[in-house]
Amino acid sequence: MNGPADRHATFELEALPHLGSMYRVALRLTGEPAAAEDLVQDAMLKAFRAWDRFRPGSNARAWLLTILRNEFINGYRREKRGPVLVELDAAPYAIYGAVAGNDPEGRFFDSIVDERVQQALLDLPAEFREVVVLSDVEGLPYAEISEIAGIPVGTVKSRLFRGRRLLQTALYEHAVEMGYIKPRNRT
Amino acid sequence: MTLPPLNCAEAVAQLQDYLKGEITPELAERVREHLAVCRGCLQHAEFERNFLQVLETRLRVTTVPSGLRERILSALDTRPR
Repeated sequence: MNGPADRHATFELEALPHLGSMYRVALRLTGEPAAAEDLVQDAMLKAFRAWDRFRPGSNARAWLLTILRNEFINGYRREKRGPVLVELDAAPYAIYGAVAGNDPEGRFFDSIVDERVQQALLDLPAEFREVVVLSDVEGLPYAEISEIAGIPVGTVKSRLFRGRRLLQTALYEHAVEMGYIKPRNRT
Repeated sequence: MTLPPLNCAEAVAQLQDYLKGEITPELAERVREHLAVCRGCLQHAEFERNFLQVLETRLRVTTVPSGLRERILSALDTRPR
């Protein structure tokens, strides 16, 4: 049996090194530094209370991010900030066909300011945002994302595909509006 | 057993997962073979790679706020309700 001192020491040793990962994910999920700090702190306390259920030697980062992710989704639902699930038939269009003629490498992305990229991510429905954050911002493998979000790897792939496409569309439309790229020639 | 070459639509469908290293080595080899002979799909791959790099470099936060670690450590010491 672990005493309180052991619990504390092992938690500090195995869980706290993932603080950076948790904060980065929390900030991109919430979009606000203060909300991100609260989310990380709530998740860490919850993890500490459940520390006896963590299997030593298993993936602590995935375990912690699962708790953080669930806290976020539950809070999101509580605040009724719109549906977590979106209509799947509202398919965004593929923009590559629109830019291939004059900007095939997508250089227009480089003209867009960081804040606009961040906003486009926040505008994504939560179920797409979480997989994009975990994969494309934090760099986690699909198998780990599957564990964290509690969905099969195939669903991770399809949500990533749709989430990235929604982002590309939003950034393209912004770039057209700002004059960074000419709209598709309709002739 | 030799698998048939991928066509453009099949190759494009795999591009993002290919760039993320999330497809099998066998399928990755077939995507690579297609890109080696198809300039259009190679350009499309460059577009997708640039997009993924934008997400990685513009959205990654590097610093944890000072004091967060300490706040958590001291909160661990207070007993939950």
